[in-house]
This record gives sequence, C-alpha cells and structure tokens, in this order.
Amino acid sequence: MKSREYELTISPKGEVELLVKGYKGKRCLEAVRWFEKIVGELKAQRETSEFYEPEEEVRYRIDQKH
Amino acid sequence: MSVRIFVRLGLIPQKMVFMSACCILAPIVIAAWPAFSAAVVAAASSLGYTVAREITRSDKSATASTQVQLELPQSELVMDRLARDQRLTVTRDGVTVTFSRDARGRAAICVDGQGHTQQQLRALGEELSGRVIQQYVYQKLMAEIQQRGFLVVENQTDEKQSIRLKVRHWEQ
Repeated sequence: MKSREYELTISPKGEVELLVKGYKGKRCLEAVRWFEKIVGELKAQRETSEFYEPEEEVRYRIDQKH
Repeated sequence: MSVRIFVRLGLIPQKMVFMSACCILAPIVIAAWPAFSAAVVAAASSLGYTVAREITRSDKSATASTQVQLELPQSELVMDRLARDQRLTVTRDGVTVTFSRDARGRAAICVDGQGHTQQQLRALGEELSGRVIQQYVYQKLMAEIQQRGFLVVENQTDEKQSIRLKVRHWEQ
C-alpha cells in the first residue's frame, strides 16, 4: 500500500494552493486534475524536488549478497 | 557483504516524468442556492456578521445609504425559476451585505451602509466575498474527500485565516 498525501491551503481570498505528495509518475497529474474538477482553474504549477524521479513501475531493487 | 543496487529500467532523461506537484487553483463557484447560502452564512459568521433575513426581491425596501455593487466573477448560481429571486442579507455594525443572483446567473453582492465611503464598502464586500469563496471551496472539498473515504489528518485555520487541510489515503 502506498501513501498519498495532499496539502491544501485555502486563502481568505479563496485561492487554493495544492501540494501533492507521494506519487511517482503520471498518476500525480491525475490527482491534480481531480482537484481541478472540484476547485476550478489551474493557474500555476511547479514541480517539487522529486520531479526527476522515475515512475514506480520502472524502478526495481536488487539485493546482492556475497 | 551486502551490495544494494538500484536499477532503473527504462529510465531515459527525456522520459523522466512528473512526480509531485505544487499548484495554484483559482476557484470557480458553480452552486445551487443551498450550498451557496451555506458558504455565505459560514463566511459571514467568521467575520462577525449575523444573518439578517432571507427574503425574495419583492420584499426589498429602498434605502438611501451608500451602496456598492460587486459580483463573484467566476460564479454561477444554479437555481430553478421559483428560487431565482432569493437573496441572503448579513449585517455588521450598520453595514448590510446582500447576496443574490444577477440576470446572468452570477453571484451578485450589494454592500450598503451609512457613514461609509464607497471605497470602504467595496473593501468590506471584497473581504466577505473572498471568505465566501473560501468557505464554498472548503465545504466542497470536504464533501468530496469524505465521499472518497480519504483521511483528514489536519484541519485548521492559521493566523492569516487560511484554512489548511492535510489529507491522506492509501493505494495498492
């Protein structure tokens, strides 16, 4: 099970800042679109420090013991 | 000795993909009157206004005080024909703010008060309309979040009067 987290800040002027965490890959964009449908227009978007991570399904770990 | 190797198959720089995001969303208010009026009442209460009355346009009496007309630009109030004249008035310190639906279906705001300049009334109206949008978005988000069974781990209003929500869920 993978944890997904959203941080939303709704300003007193009604503007919404959304931080989506825990996604790897294109599913992150699906999450953003879900919030767009609820809230409204996307005005700005920036990538976080995790931007250049690969998608989950293409990362594999190999443990080699000697 | 244990050697841990991370192999990233198919990882080509040009195909690196979006992972986490920070976005700014501008709300669009498309609401039926009950949802909109609930947001107005919550916003008005948070700023110390009290609900004066909920009446139809034909009941409105003329006033001779200063008035400012505003509207929520990205709004659409969805009402059936019988409910189109509905309005909601809130009041605080001699200022009354009336919310209604204009001819184009947008949310209209009339700020009315004696002894205030138009600039002051406009500022009061804009402050309240911002809070209405804030409450509308908050209520809509909470309804959707609960419907999806997401867990709200933080729900608070900070010193700048921003509502901060932290929501979590788990996926396979």
